[in-house]
Amino acid sequence: MMAEGVKKMTKRYVGKNIFKVDAREKVTGNAIYTEDIYFDNMLYLKIKRATHPHAYLRRIDISKAQKLPGVVKIITAADIPKVKNFGLIIKDQPVLIGIGQKMRYMGDALAIVIAESKEAASQAIGLIEVEVEKLEAISDPLRAIEKDAPLIHQDGNILDTYYLKKGDIKKGFAQADLIVENEYRTSFLDQVPLQVEAGVGIFDQETEIIKLWVATQWLHDTQADIAQSLGLPKEKIRIIQPVIGGAFGKKEDISVHIYLALAAMETKRPVKLTYTREESMIAQSKRHPFIIRMKTGVTRKGYLTACQVEVIVDTGAYASSGPAVVHKGLYHCTGPYNVGNVKGVAHIVYTNNTYCGAMRGFGATQMAFAYESQMDIITHRLRIDPVQFRLQNAYSIGSSTPNSQILTLGVGVKETIKLAADIAGWKE
Amino acid sequence: MKHKIRFTINGEVKEIEVQPNKTLLKMLREDLDLIGVKEGCGAGECGACTVLVNNKPVNSCLMLAVEVDGKEILTIEGLSDGINLDPLQESFLKHNAIQCGYCTPGMVMSAKALLNRNSHPKEEDVKEALAGNLCRCTGYKRIVDAVLDAVKKGGGK
Repeated sequence: MMAEGVKKMTKRYVGKNIFKVDAREKVTGNAIYTEDIYFDNMLYLKIKRATHPHAYLRRIDISKAQKLPGVVKIITAADIPKVKNFGLIIKDQPVLIGIGQKMRYMGDALAIVIAESKEAASQAIGLIEVEVEKLEAISDPLRAIEKDAPLIHQDGNILDTYYLKKGDIKKGFAQADLIVENEYRTSFLDQVPLQVEAGVGIFDQETEIIKLWVATQWLHDTQADIAQSLGLPKEKIRIIQPVIGGAFGKKEDISVHIYLALAAMETKRPVKLTYTREESMIAQSKRHPFIIRMKTGVTRKGYLTACQVEVIVDTGAYASSGPAVVHKGLYHCTGPYNVGNVKGVAHIVYTNNTYCGAMRGFGATQMAFAYESQMDIITHRLRIDPVQFRLQNAYSIGSSTPNSQILTLGVGVKETIKLAADIAGWKE
Repeated sequence: MKHKIRFTINGEVKEIEVQPNKTLLKMLREDLDLIGVKEGCGAGECGACTVLVNNKPVNSCLMLAVEVDGKEILTIEGLSDGINLDPLQESFLKHNAIQCGYCTPGMVMSAKALLNRNSHPKEEDVKEALAGNLCRCTGYKRIVDAVLDAVKKGGGK
């Protein structure tokens, strides 16, 4: 029965040129992205952001901004005492920073300005006066883990530590004829989806449902997170997914959502918020920079015997999907190569940088820079062919990963290496 | 003070009053509802807002609306009659040169400008013409293939 179904499906789709369902709208300019949604009587929001990456908010004065023609309302933390923190895995991110509370990166929000026009909202932001008590801003995770570093979050700057163990690392290095040890560093990277964070919100007074048109990658998780933050049942939050406009991990996190919900409830009018590209860069997630110390053991004949790795990951001011990204990175420390003896530790560290989250590869890409560099250095030192070396160590069906998962399906690494070498003209 | 300007947009003569500091992008999107013109960066980096002004591709976020007085503008909306697509659009569909689609209108307009000035472009010409248009889904190969195929089918005539 099932085989027949698969066969039928194969005939219908596989190997055929299938048009994307919304391609025609996209190629004619008719597709509706969030930024294209407009309602009559709509108000525009703008967010007043932190003025220092690590500081206590001591005073916020919105009186001048409030008097500006076109400004309808300015929401600060004092107006929303019951609103709770949000976050994908750990609820550590505040919606608005209140008096006496701490801003932890330049993207933290201090106030939501609601105005009749984008221009008035933008102008009002500049009229909000803020006084802060500055703390040491930590931009380096190695500084963050020092004993005398100020604490960014109450429970310490090391958010979590993960361990990895397989085989016997001592035995692995004893079997090695060559041991190569190096430190690698990767950098922050922005996903830069072409459509920035944008959204429109409406509060339906009859049903008390908040409708949000915002592109998101986790529709139901986002709905649940907004609901818990606002203290509302999930069914009171309705998210309508417009055409997304690229995401690549960046739209997994909450961005404009809660601001829109608060402003819609407050004003009972349609509200719109679109980040500038600069704001998107400052306020929303990045790819995690990794510091990777990797020690690899190999025999004279070019067989890997041991891999020991220590990773320090800068997750920025908030956790976002950091814990999952770092876990995954650690599990990929040997890449697609068989290593019998593995030991690893990864620390995920808070700093005052923009928080990091998901981006294509989810931690695996950072690690690739380290293990593939190690592979090249080893082949150079042993004077052996880098393609042959990779092939003889590569995974096949039955191989076991650093977290001891046995691979039973879909292992295409050897074919991939061979094909890549052919296309690159390696033998010539 | 608003300025009265007169121009041709997608074949139709229009006369409107605009603020002197309004960009062409904002006028097209906000005053003329041409939402196929996309804003990606607002700083001339990404090309998503590309339209043709007197047949030349421009970043509409970098041009003031008052500058199009007396000129002819073509946007993605004017490329087809809504039923029959331009050969370039057909080719983008056929080659699945569209992922998130946000760069697509700008890409198509930059390609259109190329075909207007060169009916038989080579692959290198296509790449050069699209150099100012960013695609973040990394679909460049299919986009270049789509433009070259449109040329082969006579789209560049």
